[in-house]
Amino acid sequence: MTLGVWLVFALAIFCLGLYCVLGRRNLIVILIGIELMLNAVSVNFMAVNYYLAPDPSVGQIVVLFIIGLAAAEAAIALSIILSVYRQRKSISIANLEELKG
Amino acid sequence: MILTGIAMVITIAGAILAVSRRNVVHAVFGLAIALVGVALAFLALNSPFVAAMQVLIYIGGITIAMIFAVMLSATRERESRDGVWRRLFAGIAALLFFVALAPVLMSTDFGTAMQASESAWSLNEIGNSLLDQYNVVFELLSVVLLLAIIGAIAIARHEPGSLDDPTATDGGDA
Amino acid sequence: MSTESLALALLIAPLVGSFLALVFFRRKHVIASGIVVASGLVSVIASAMLLFGAGHDVGAITARWFSIGDTPIEFGILLDGRTMIMGAVVALITLCIEVYSLSYMKHDEGRGRFFAFLALFAWSMLSFVYSSSLLQAFIFWELVGLASFFLIGFWYEKPSAVAAAKKAFIMTRIGDVGLFIGLILLFMTTGTLDIPAINTLFAGDGLPEGIAPGRIELIAALLFIGVIGKSAQFPLHTWLPDAMEGPTPVSALLHSATMVAAGVFLVTRFHGLFMNAQQTMEWMLWIAVGTAILSSTMAMVAKDMKRVLAFSSISQLGFMLMGLAAGSLFAGYFHLITHAFFKALLFLCAGAFIHHVGSNDLIAMGRAGAAKQMKLTTVALVIGGSALAGIPFLAGFFSKEQIIGSLPIGAKIGALFAAFLTAYYTFRMIFLIVRPNADSMAVEDEPAHAQHEDGHEHHGPAEPLAMLAPIILLAVGAAGAGYIGNWIGHKLHIEHIEHPSITEMAPAIVIAILGVVFAWLEFGRKGARQTGFVSKIPSMQTLFERRWYLDEIYNVVFVRPVVWFASLCIGAENKGFDNGADAVAHGTYKGGRMVARSHSGRLQFYIGSAIVVVAALALTLGFRNGGGAG
Repeated sequence: MTLGVWLVFALAIFCLGLYCVLGRRNLIVILIGIELMLNAVSVNFMAVNYYLAPDPSVGQIVVLFIIGLAAAEAAIALSIILSVYRQRKSISIANLEELKG
Repeated sequence: MILTGIAMVITIAGAILAVSRRNVVHAVFGLAIALVGVALAFLALNSPFVAAMQVLIYIGGITIAMIFAVMLSATRERESRDGVWRRLFAGIAALLFFVALAPVLMSTDFGTAMQASESAWSLNEIGNSLLDQYNVVFELLSVVLLLAIIGAIAIARHEPGSLDDPTATDGGDA
Repeated sequence: MSTESLALALLIAPLVGSFLALVFFRRKHVIASGIVVASGLVSVIASAMLLFGAGHDVGAITARWFSIGDTPIEFGILLDGRTMIMGAVVALITLCIEVYSLSYMKHDEGRGRFFAFLALFAWSMLSFVYSSSLLQAFIFWELVGLASFFLIGFWYEKPSAVAAAKKAFIMTRIGDVGLFIGLILLFMTTGTLDIPAINTLFAGDGLPEGIAPGRIELIAALLFIGVIGKSAQFPLHTWLPDAMEGPTPVSALLHSATMVAAGVFLVTRFHGLFMNAQQTMEWMLWIAVGTAILSSTMAMVAKDMKRVLAFSSISQLGFMLMGLAAGSLFAGYFHLITHAFFKALLFLCAGAFIHHVGSNDLIAMGRAGAAKQMKLTTVALVIGGSALAGIPFLAGFFSKEQIIGSLPIGAKIGALFAAFLTAYYTFRMIFLIVRPNADSMAVEDEPAHAQHEDGHEHHGPAEPLAMLAPIILLAVGAAGAGYIGNWIGHKLHIEHIEHPSITEMAPAIVIAILGVVFAWLEFGRKGARQTGFVSKIPSMQTLFERRWYLDEIYNVVFVRPVVWFASLCIGAENKGFDNGADAVAHGTYKGGRMVARSHSGRLQFYIGSAIVVVAALALTLGFRNGGGAG
């Protein structure tokens, strides 16, 4: 087991999350994709920490921060989703095109 | 070694499940499985505390919150036909990204591996670092979490005059 | 009063008059005309005091204007024989015409403006005459052109007047280009624009050292182009007959002492320089002879009285230039002075008839019996006409004798022929007015043409004093100006004036009288057909009436191509540049629309695009690194 394998593993999770963010319309599913991408990043940190870092606790602490921020992000995102649903009776991204030029 | 393999397989399987299912509840379950896999991977990487946090916060917190959201929005929407092109585009983009980066990652020489001492991975070490070296970041994160809670409540709370139960705001304050 | 203050008063008075009349009293006609006449009077008195009081060759009163390198360019008043005589004549004739206009323009709506422009005209011309530097002279030369533009186009409601004004302005401008280039060349060659300095330089025999003969020829030729334009010589003469569209006093001023006189005066001013350019003088001589004959033929058939006089002006200017070109400064200058008197007189008489009869047409004037009702004017007309024709012992006789006497033999024959024609057409004009008769075969012009020039019915006396006084004064001048030749010569520092002997004078006298007799036979005697010998050859008649088709030729050769080119440019502008600009704007708009469509507002698409780009970048870099490593 080398660092490279861990990184490619993380990349695979990241790409699955990316596909989810780009390809789906349901806001909750998109949120799931984002969580997957965040986890991929966490795995990266842990793996690099494990194999390379002189101070081993750094990676774990960063991952803890990521988990914390992910919790905050999820809370905000879910509240936004609920708010959008209440306004439009839909959580499909197809209806959210106010940025159109 | 075996643990690592199991962790990777569970994670990828869960992620594929999360990504591919049309039913949102199924997708959330897929996410939970993937998160368990990641927790196992953390274990394999010699960090049981972070693995425990992963299970607690992600699976116990975020995933449950998502289930609640799914239930509250009660969506039964189906992806429409033109979603095929969108997913094709997304798939190509993601695949391209993978193809572009994977060989780079595999072929890169990251230098000599360092064998860290067992004590470095202990709970003690992490606790000391958090309250000592990374104290400012730690406190900032707690402020961010507080703001996130307040923000979430502010965004999600019922509009004045709506028919829903006003006690939801009270619960938020508590 | 000192010489300086006199000279300044002389020049500033008309400027102030013009300014006041134009700016403050344009609608208060009485005040405006009063100011202008007063300023004219100041100029006359001051110029007369200068002429008779200051002696000759006072020199120049100058002030530094600016410097080019080490060469100062000065602005000043040059007082010598040439300028003082010419200035006095200009001032006197201007005053006469201003007084005359008091009556002539009495009922015109815009006469405040008219008087202001008259004063402007006078100021420009006087300043031109008294200029001490060539640059200054050029500026006022242009101002003279500008003032004449204003006055010719005075009745700007009339399209023909506007066209005539533009024509005059543009035609003279063609000449001015030549003059300006010549001026620059002269400065480059001699290093000065100071008129006395230039005259001193070229005073002696032969060229000054270091100046190539070719260069002098070129300068003289360029200056002469300016003269051709201003003094209406062939081929730039066509503007002058059209300039008749202005009020008659303007024509009088334009043809006698100002405008056209400026060109001839320039030649007299630089006579020394011109005499060093023999080739150019040869050309000048023949152009002048040709112009004199050409315009005389046109005058023979013209029915409009003012046009007859206009053609005669062109031909007389030709005479002046002949004299100058043949080397006689005195002859040309003398004729310039005498011509100023009798041509102003003739125009004022014509104006009086037109004013009374309400038509420019000679035959209509005769039939209206103008001669019987306006006896004094008729007498003045005969005096002026005789002076023009060169009848002995009137002004034109002496100066024309001087010119003919100075000419070489070939040019002399041409000049004699022109003199014969002059006598003929002058007396044709006089007889048509004075002796209308029942047997006349002459046909009046269409009544539409014979409109009342100043647009009102005439009431009151046929010969009001304000019109009669200048006419009488000028008639005296026209009769007597010939006797001051010696004095003028003295003022010009010409020690010995060669008066032609009686045998030399004989041909010219005979020719002039022959012309008069001929005119008598065809127009004057009882039962004359009043059609002229030219009408027996219809093609020639048409040729002369259409002014040798020169206007048509210019139209085809110059105007049409320019108009064609202009319309081409308009087409290129409208179709090419405008449409191009429109297309650019339209394209930008369309492009913006298209780009805006890609702004779908779909964040997923944006992110996906970014990811694809990043991936492509990574691929490219990966391959390059791999290739570099391999």
